[in-house]
Amino acid sequence: MLLVILTIIPLIGALILYFTKDKSINIPLIISAVVIILACLGLGSVFKGVPITYKIPLSGPFVPTFHADALSVIFVMLASFLWFVVSIYAPEYMKHEGRAKTFELCTLLTLSAVLGVFLAGDLFTMLLFFELMTITSYFWVIHKWNEEAIRAGYFYLFFSIIGGLLIALGIVLMGEATDVLPAIGAGFVTPLNSPMFAWSIALFVAGFGIKAGMVPLHLWLPHAHSVSPTPGSALLSGLLIKVGAYGLIRVGELAGWGMKLSSGIKFGPGLAVLGICTMLVGVAAALLQSDAKRLLAYHSVSQMGYIILGIGITLYFNGESVLGLTGAIYHTVNHALFKSALFLGIGIIILRTGEQNLYKMGGLWRKFPLTALLVLIAVLGITGAPGLNGYASKTVLHHAVSEAAHTNSSLMIWIERLFLVVGVGTTASFAKLFYLAFLGKPNSKLKINKGNNRLLMTPMIVLSLVMLIIGFMPQLFIDKLAVPALKSLGFSTNLFGQITDIDFWTAADLQGMFITLILGIAFCGLGLKTGLFHWKPPIWLSIEALAKTVLVGFNQAVSFCGHAVQITGRWFKQSLYRFYSSLMMLSTSLDYNTNNNKTTSVSFSNLNFSTGIIITILFLVFIFYLF
Amino acid sequence: MSGNILIFTILTGISGGIITALIPKKADKQRKVVTLITTLLTAVFVWLQIPSALQGSAPVIYGSIGTMHWRLQPDPLGIIFAVIASTLWVVTAVYSFGYMKHSEYQRNFYTFYLFSLAVTMGIALSANLFLLYVFYELLTFTTYPLVIHYRNEESLKAGNRYILYSLVGAGFILAALVTTAIWTGGNLNFSTVPLLTNIGKKPGIVFVLIAFIIGFGVKAAVMPIHRWLPAAMVAPTPVSALLHAVSVVYSGVYGILRVVYSVFGHELMGQLNLSNGLLLIASFTILVGVFIATKQDVLKRRLAYHTISQLSYILLGAFTLQPWGLTGAILHMISYSMLKVTLFFCAGIIAEQTGETKVSRMTGVGWALPKTMTAFGIASLGMIGMLPLNTFWSKYYLMKGSTAGGKWPFALVLIGSGIINAVCFIPTVVTAFRGEKVRSNAEQGGNVTLMLAPTLVLATAALFIGLWPGVVWPGVEAVVNWFF
Repeated sequence: MLLVILTIIPLIGALILYFTKDKSINIPLIISAVVIILACLGLGSVFKGVPITYKIPLSGPFVPTFHADALSVIFVMLASFLWFVVSIYAPEYMKHEGRAKTFELCTLLTLSAVLGVFLAGDLFTMLLFFELMTITSYFWVIHKWNEEAIRAGYFYLFFSIIGGLLIALGIVLMGEATDVLPAIGAGFVTPLNSPMFAWSIALFVAGFGIKAGMVPLHLWLPHAHSVSPTPGSALLSGLLIKVGAYGLIRVGELAGWGMKLSSGIKFGPGLAVLGICTMLVGVAAALLQSDAKRLLAYHSVSQMGYIILGIGITLYFNGESVLGLTGAIYHTVNHALFKSALFLGIGIIILRTGEQNLYKMGGLWRKFPLTALLVLIAVLGITGAPGLNGYASKTVLHHAVSEAAHTNSSLMIWIERLFLVVGVGTTASFAKLFYLAFLGKPNSKLKINKGNNRLLMTPMIVLSLVMLIIGFMPQLFIDKLAVPALKSLGFSTNLFGQITDIDFWTAADLQGMFITLILGIAFCGLGLKTGLFHWKPPIWLSIEALAKTVLVGFNQAVSFCGHAVQITGRWFKQSLYRFYSSLMMLSTSLDYNTNNNKTTSVSFSNLNFSTGIIITILFLVFIFYLF
Repeated sequence: MSGNILIFTILTGISGGIITALIPKKADKQRKVVTLITTLLTAVFVWLQIPSALQGSAPVIYGSIGTMHWRLQPDPLGIIFAVIASTLWVVTAVYSFGYMKHSEYQRNFYTFYLFSLAVTMGIALSANLFLLYVFYELLTFTTYPLVIHYRNEESLKAGNRYILYSLVGAGFILAALVTTAIWTGGNLNFSTVPLLTNIGKKPGIVFVLIAFIIGFGVKAAVMPIHRWLPAAMVAPTPVSALLHAVSVVYSGVYGILRVVYSVFGHELMGQLNLSNGLLLIASFTILVGVFIATKQDVLKRRLAYHTISQLSYILLGAFTLQPWGLTGAILHMISYSMLKVTLFFCAGIIAEQTGETKVSRMTGVGWALPKTMTAFGIASLGMIGMLPLNTFWSKYYLMKGSTAGGKWPFALVLIGSGIINAVCFIPTVVTAFRGEKVRSNAEQGGNVTLMLAPTLVLATAALFIGLWPGVVWPGVEAVVNWFF
């Protein structure tokens, strides 16, 4: 029952918000606080290994089921925490963006939908909340209602709709393959039809992959995340794409982590390759961006690659190793923290200077010293500097990758090498961001509006504190949260030694991270000096151009077909007319000549009942002739 | 319950229509009262029959004209059609009170509106192929005056086309009907056992099936013989909404369902090996119909082509010959009708209140008519097949039926159609909300309330069924159990 209440509370909040006239109360803040408190009080028991399940007893094919185990509670807590901190920030920011009420309504509705996805106990309920989330968060993306926002909104909506449809088809195939739809959190169900089961898993991966920004389905992400108002971007990048990651983890669970898939289809290597591609594409595109928010958005793509890679590696080991998955869950949490902090920090700069272009900023640390410090903490977090949370999850992931590389698979060896390259790229692009915005030469043309930034910086301080706590006590998360989550996902306890025994402070790991950092900064310096970051990739390299070509080609082909059909139709019609009039001429000449030659202009629109009868009789004769 | 209730169901509409015709031209108010009472009464009569009909023990009444037997008795499929039609007739009646307020020829409109109701009830309740055919034919003539309502050249032309297509189709049905009657020895009564079960694979049986499908396919707007439907959009919006999105076209779909499941039966159909071909025609109609819809600029024409596409969803489900496919077909009959009527109602409100009929010129309409466009948006999401709407369930079961029969490419057709549907409707809604936000009172006043209320009620009902499909589930289950 509590699970249903948790998803309904934000809806009630939205109702109150809709009807209230008082603008001074921050309803999203109160609602997310209530959700956090209720979740802490009521859902703590799941970490002891007792999942909570609740069914709404409806008749018919749809019995909405809610289910909470350790994994879903981690995500629920993360979501409500992020909503809480962003709600501190949003009112001040939205004063300048306008239409704050619409934004807050969408914030509350999206919170409800997101909690619903995390607490869903069957695939239909999950899809229901997944689709609702698409619709409600769409209003964040098109908040500005200008040309760019609407374009980004189309991208977002169409990709998400396709994702939803793919998941729906996945559910259909799953139902066919297993007879009874497996519940979420119930683990592996032996399929009756292995190939169909594998297809269903593949469709789920594609569907959730679209939400997670998996290459090549990531096209919508940079547009949508950069155009929405900054609090919206923080939540989109911080949490909404994590819904995709959550879905992928649940899909892995459905597939039994590849242990028992008898069809010989291996998802592990495929997913790992997709993950590494996502990392590379994201980071490469991020290096070339000049717009601060787009840079961050491309980094969301790249960091989601880490998560997908982690899941892929656990699948690669057929569930015999939990390092990859632990890294994925860990990185999900960490990325949510530092990416929303980064968006919020850049948001302050955008709000006060009205400038999104990094090359027009510079030397801003003098005007915004505390913001600069907080952004620096988040930057260090995302680059994986020791002492911050990014280091912890990246270390776990790196251990997983090198373990995979030790299996002597050439694919995995390459993945390990590329993993390090992406680390360097990440450092380089964030060095670029920080250098261009806060260090460097001050831009004298930049107009800076005065304002009170205290309320805007509070959430960043909170986020930085959490990041530092995780950074200095990396083992805490693993022991308290990751182990119960893995247990609820059905891994055997003897695997947990792999993660509980990780020493985060070995010389090798630290050294590796420092080398990455130094190489990254050096690369950044090189790139800024040589103008490498201004390189515009040729148009044919972008997938959008390719898709456009295909679409235009398709459109032309279709209109050609349309013309062809029209011309044939006209020809057919004309010959029919000719046939009909000659028949009429014939019959009139047989009868008597009325000296009226109008029969040639008989048209179908003047056809009457008798023709119908004639045709009927002809057909009757035809039928009877057959016997 | 005696069989008289069946007679009452049909006679209510006829007598209501006669009374409406006798009411003097100026007395609009009385005519509306009569219309509302008639439609409500019919709906009540139909709803009263639901429990018995779903159990298969519905009241029955039968007799014969010469050697030709007739029989009225709703079975689960019939009662579902009757419930959809009669309920939507009430809703549309309320809407048309608002829409037709300043229109000419009101007496003509309401008279034939009620006659059509009676005839549609006849189609739904008849348990006999011959009677079904008679009512099906009558429907053409009672709806013709509604199509040519405005009496201008365009509508007369559309009316001609409608009559031509329908009569040629009827000819095909008659031919097939006579052949069937000869084969079965004059027994045309529907029962749980299909009529032609004992006949088996007779030579020529394929032609009978094709003749039936062409005949009923005219009204179901299957693709090569669909062109009367977009033309018929010249009719007033309530007519387009009710007749050309639901009842007339559903009578064709219903006829095909009857032919496939009551006349031939799924076993014989399976033996005939025509399933793939029929599925291909249905998928062609689904994809091409909705694709043409995206190219239309006039909103009502866009909706018309979209109707053509969606009707073939139902046929696709029927042609899979799978229990799940039939489940999807029946669910789609129920859910699609609600959403499509909503869409047409919205189009009517937009045209009446702002004068815009073209999608490209609807910029800013959403701010003038926020509730209307919200309803339109909800219905659009339903057409894509997104979850909080009832059409998700029909689409789900249609896909399930396709894959269960080993015909998974047709599930992909439905996915593709969903995407094209999104292309078709999402930009319409987004465009409507662009531009300056202008406060207007276009949604106030008695007229608009009469039009808006049914629209919102239907959209809400669609959401409700989407969240709780169990509401309609017993009916759907009864149909599937009846035929399988």
